[in-house]
Amino acid sequence: MVSSGATTTEEIGIDTRRERTSRVWQALSVLFASKIAMIGLTIVLFWVFVAIFAPYLTPYGPLDQDWKAPNQGPSTAHIFGTDELGRDLWSRLIHGARIVLVIMPISERLWIPGGTAVWGVFVALLIGTTLGLLGGFWGGWIDEVVMRLLDAMMAVPIILLYMIIMAALGASALNVVIAITIVGTPGIARLVRSLTLDIRTREYIRAAETRGENSWYIMFVEILPNARGPIIVDAMLRVGYAIFAMGTLGFLGLGIPPPSPDWGSMVAKGREFILAGSPWAALWPSVAIASLVVGLNLLADGLREESMRYQ
Amino acid sequence: MLLVSVAVFLITESSPGNVARNVLGAFVTPEQEASFLAQIGLDKPVYTRYLYWLFGSDWHASRKVGLSLKRITTDAGFEEWWAVREDGALVRWKLRGEDLIAIVRFPDGSTNEYDNNERWREDKGGKSTFWGVDTQNHIVKWEKGGGRKVWTFVMGTGWMESTGGPAEYIPLKRGFIRGDPGVSLRTGRPVSKSIFLRLRNSLVLAGTAFVIVMPLALFLGMLAGLKEGSTRDRVLSVGGMMFSVTPEFATGIFLILIMAMWLGLVPGATVFGEKAPWERPDMLILPVLTLTLIELGYVLRITRASMVEVMKSPYIRTAYLKGLPYWRIVFKHAVRNALMAPITVIMLHVNWLMGGIVVVEVVFGYPGLGKYLLDSALFKDINALEAGAMILVTIAVLTQLVADIAYTFLNPRIRYT
Repeated sequence: MVSSGATTTEEIGIDTRRERTSRVWQALSVLFASKIAMIGLTIVLFWVFVAIFAPYLTPYGPLDQDWKAPNQGPSTAHIFGTDELGRDLWSRLIHGARIVLVIMPISERLWIPGGTAVWGVFVALLIGTTLGLLGGFWGGWIDEVVMRLLDAMMAVPIILLYMIIMAALGASALNVVIAITIVGTPGIARLVRSLTLDIRTREYIRAAETRGENSWYIMFVEILPNARGPIIVDAMLRVGYAIFAMGTLGFLGLGIPPPSPDWGSMVAKGREFILAGSPWAALWPSVAIASLVVGLNLLADGLREESMRYQ
Repeated sequence: MLLVSVAVFLITESSPGNVARNVLGAFVTPEQEASFLAQIGLDKPVYTRYLYWLFGSDWHASRKVGLSLKRITTDAGFEEWWAVREDGALVRWKLRGEDLIAIVRFPDGSTNEYDNNERWREDKGGKSTFWGVDTQNHIVKWEKGGGRKVWTFVMGTGWMESTGGPAEYIPLKRGFIRGDPGVSLRTGRPVSKSIFLRLRNSLVLAGTAFVIVMPLALFLGMLAGLKEGSTRDRVLSVGGMMFSVTPEFATGIFLILIMAMWLGLVPGATVFGEKAPWERPDMLILPVLTLTLIELGYVLRITRASMVEVMKSPYIRTAYLKGLPYWRIVFKHAVRNALMAPITVIMLHVNWLMGGIVVVEVVFGYPGLGKYLLDSALFKDINALEAGAMILVTIAVLTQLVADIAYTFLNPRIRYT
């Protein structure tokens, strides 16, 4: 029995490794099995690709104006047409995707990697997860106070929250991220809190407590990794909401200020020219934002459905 | 609720933007700006402004004047504040040089002026001061020989510069909870008047959409949920999802392009002028349709999920095994239980619906509360923004309360202790 001890641990090591690869494979096969998820993935990947390689996919810059050709329909020179200042719509569209998904403009020159929507969700995840963990694990008056505050925030209509925040802060990409964060945090905190409450009663948490780990260790090393599944799916949906919110803010004139190629503000500007007979400037960004959000939701939906069937 | 009102107030008031610049244009001098801010009461500390905004300033002001104050509506439709003199006549004051002039208003609307210098009071510093109602609905403190320069901005005409102006202003208003949130800085009209018109328009829009959406979505959702995974289910639920996650403005643009541009069936924008929305129902079609599509998907999916769950439950199987006819099972056993969840969730969805309404109003230029709020927010018209925000929050909180109550009513298993 003693001699077989070593081999057993080795076998377990191999097993876990094999299990890990097979788990990745399983996740992928779940993805491939669902037709809906695949359609969603294709759409999302298309936009990510276009966003990353935007500068190489068009000869025009998003701000280049051609005064001789404003408000044109699709042609060989401008495949999607031009807007009211003669800017190429395809170029503006893919640079708009870039702002949403790949870069976040901080000032005219400066930008940081990670899309505006992505940053919004990321920061909301950080704050929401921390609050949820604290509330769920410690309980008591901290929990009470935090949850009451978040409840109060959730009672305020979201659009109003956006309007007041943006009216107070002014319009810029950074403030859009702040707005998305403030609006997104309560939902994430609630989700993480309920997951924490559930996981807290498990035996491995009891074991960690008995080992004498401090509560921060238990929260972030024991509980958080075990709650990641639902959080990831939720985060995916939230990126969809964030893009939705960015578009809406831009449309209402509260988003990233012009001349930046923001989809929402492109629609808002193009809307004025629809009844004058040139619908293209409003149509394309609408199609873009609708397809991206629908794609993300299809992906998340398909994943959730397939994994549920799998279980 | 109180907490939320404080929060709404603080955030809007603390905003760094400058309403004075928006009203007056970019070329005001700092003195003009300060004078303007004083006249609209923005130079006061935050807590005073909050109290005035919520409960009104007239009670405080009337103590300063020593006479009671009264708001009247003139024949031209303006709202004016007057002090009630000891003998019951309405009176206001103005300053001409060093002389205090009282203006008396008679019940028929005519006025009479007379010298009223005996009302000057000596304060501790030996200065002659007087608190009174001026001709622009403020309570003001005049100082004899103060010789202070003020600039009055009259909406539509421009600047009036005058000397010997008051040292301190308190704008008169009744306060939000007494139905008077002040005067809009953007339009120069009382907020309460415009806001009720706008609220009515929005309610027409939302109500119409609601009446159309509810039966349709519940019915389609049940249809989809009857057989999980069937083609009908997949088409309905994926379609519903696509409609519900597409941003409202995109849906609106698509509908304008298809219905108004391409088919030319209905107008693509709403222009009511002075008319009420129901006098031009053709202009309501597209906004309502847009709202309907968005909400339809959401309600449909919730109903579907609830229906699927119910159809899996043991008592439905029991009903099958009893040999009851299919439609009877569906209508008598399944539907009743399946409708419980959606109805309450829909009430909680009002928050989202409001967002939809704001966007739809902007897309179609519909003169509703949402557009009013947005314009106010962009202009930093704090009186209007705060009032509108409070109304929206009140509606949201009330519907949530109703949802909670309805839920206990529909589902007797839940009891709040």
